[in-house]
Amino acid sequence: MNIIVFIKQVADTEARIIIKNDQKSLEIENKYNMNFFDEFAVEEAIKTKEKFKDSQITACTYGPKKAIEALRTAIAMGADRAFLIDNTGLETDDSLIVAKILSAFAQKEGFDLILCGRQAIDDENANVGAMVAEMLGIPHASAVIGFEVMDGKAIKIDNEVEGGKETVEVQLPALFTTQKGLNTPRVPLITGVMKAMKAVIPTVDPTTLGLTKEDIDLSASGIEIISLESPQQRPPVKIINGETPEEKVRNLVRALKEEARVL
Amino acid sequence: MNFALSEEQEFFKKTIADTVDRMIVPKAQEIDEKDEFPWDLWRDFTGLGYIGLRYPEEIGGMNADKVMCMTFYEEIARGSVGFAQSVIMNILMGTYFIFRFGSEAIKERCLYPAMKGEKVSTMCFTEDQSGSDLGATRTTAVKDGDGWRINGTKMWITNGPICDFCTVLATTDPSKGLKGLNFFLVEKGTPGFSSGQVLNKLGCRGTVTGELVFDNVWVPQENFLGEELGKGVYYVGDILDEVRLMTGAMALGIARGAYAEALEFAKKRVAFGQPIGNFQLIREKFAEMDTLMNAARLMIYYGAWLLENGMDSRILAAEAKMFATEACLKVVDELTRIYGANAFAYEYSPQRYFRDARFLLYGGGTHEVLRDFIGRTLIGKL
Repeated sequence: MNIIVFIKQVADTEARIIIKNDQKSLEIENKYNMNFFDEFAVEEAIKTKEKFKDSQITACTYGPKKAIEALRTAIAMGADRAFLIDNTGLETDDSLIVAKILSAFAQKEGFDLILCGRQAIDDENANVGAMVAEMLGIPHASAVIGFEVMDGKAIKIDNEVEGGKETVEVQLPALFTTQKGLNTPRVPLITGVMKAMKAVIPTVDPTTLGLTKEDIDLSASGIEIISLESPQQRPPVKIINGETPEEKVRNLVRALKEEARVL
Repeated sequence: MNFALSEEQEFFKKTIADTVDRMIVPKAQEIDEKDEFPWDLWRDFTGLGYIGLRYPEEIGGMNADKVMCMTFYEEIARGSVGFAQSVIMNILMGTYFIFRFGSEAIKERCLYPAMKGEKVSTMCFTEDQSGSDLGATRTTAVKDGDGWRINGTKMWITNGPICDFCTVLATTDPSKGLKGLNFFLVEKGTPGFSSGQVLNKLGCRGTVTGELVFDNVWVPQENFLGEELGKGVYYVGDILDEVRLMTGAMALGIARGAYAEALEFAKKRVAFGQPIGNFQLIREKFAEMDTLMNAARLMIYYGAWLLENGMDSRILAAEAKMFATEACLKVVDELTRIYGANAFAYEYSPQRYFRDARFLLYGGGTHEVLRDFIGRTLIGKL
């Protein structure tokens, strides 16, 4: 089985992020990881390969050169090979263009199964997976929390839906986006780490995937960032004092009326 | 001068840090509170293969360079010092002499299983009345037929009470002092070999430390670990610099863990209507802590670079160990001051860092001994 896993390198949740003076771009501390939800995709690919031993797992990301580190993590976990599609000078925020590039890669490589995280934790758009499936003309299911490969030709999945869970059987080739709870991403063995350290990860020019520069550069973007704003600072905690519970309640009601003005 | 880690070293650092965050950090408090050896974590973590970090790939190791080794020691100590001590004993001191001098049969029985975490190892130097003063070692090894008979007790042995095998320092000729010292392998189950008192320690809890007793223990000649008699202390020199740098790296790891706790607290704790991180004297503490940690980092990793490149690292290793461990004490002290009275409660982590940091003063040489060594080496023989 030919499995492709699309991953994204994102800023660490504890990285310092500052909005630059232009209010449209960010200065991000140099701490990056594989996107949280993509870890479940990599893990599920490896578990599938453990069941279908002649499978090949290809990890791929559309990103800057430093994203190679995220690809090495995928190899350390168990991916067989990885590719970086270099986004230098190209559009990166428009999900449609990202999906176009990733689907072109998948089309060229060939696949039976595509896995990716349900969303990236930086932009939280949750668009790319479904868009790639549509562009490739294959079925997809999102937010998958259960995954069973039936016979190499179909997958039975459980996915989250509002208020519950649905179970669906999907014929391959197909794309699935993975949700927390699907599995527990493995910690790499030292042999995986060594393999990843030595791995040669090719860089792919997206214009070699049947796309023109005009299709995918900044001018092709259908979206424009108008401005970025920091989330509102939470006000400091106020402790309501009082000698007795009744007095504390009186003081609380007064604060809600006179200070917070919500009563 | 290039201070950057290579791409490989960066990736290794990131991977081990992430592994520690996932596997060890969540269990650190429990390990400390229960003070029991965490066998489940040991099996899971050693199953990843890191015990083979320093050993050749041909025998299942990673052949990691000294910078990667220090990175490992730093990160695992950041997670849990108690657990780190046991792991590092298997990686370095407890297995080195087996690797260097053991027969293939001994390696099959001891080294290779230890590299997979299937066996626990240790090294026995310290006795009740000899720590820094190795020349005062009283454990003896007397030739007996085609083997050696060992008598004595060792104390402060990390992993001692749970070890499957140990490398014992014993004197074959007390009249020769340091030149009479040699290493022998003793395996669990050998008649006369037993564990004694288990120590109830102030810090580094979770690792089991205690006494080992050698009561007329007979081992075959094969268990003599060396090329010739009298070179035991000389062989220790092979790893002494690494042990000292390792201790410094562990101290840096503890300091980083403590610093991260302090930073988070200073941002959240509100006093006089604002986060305490806004106060000048709190900021001063962070400036001091970061300066000390950066200085320690430079010394440790410069020392690792010297060692890796076959250059003389004796003085720097001793200085790095001394500086980093003292810096760590300062950082954990500041952490407790930033936390205020909460640092005095077991339910918060500062007290754990404060207790754990203390032990690193002793391993690899007390600072009183190291200062004399450094000064003597610098001034030379007069």
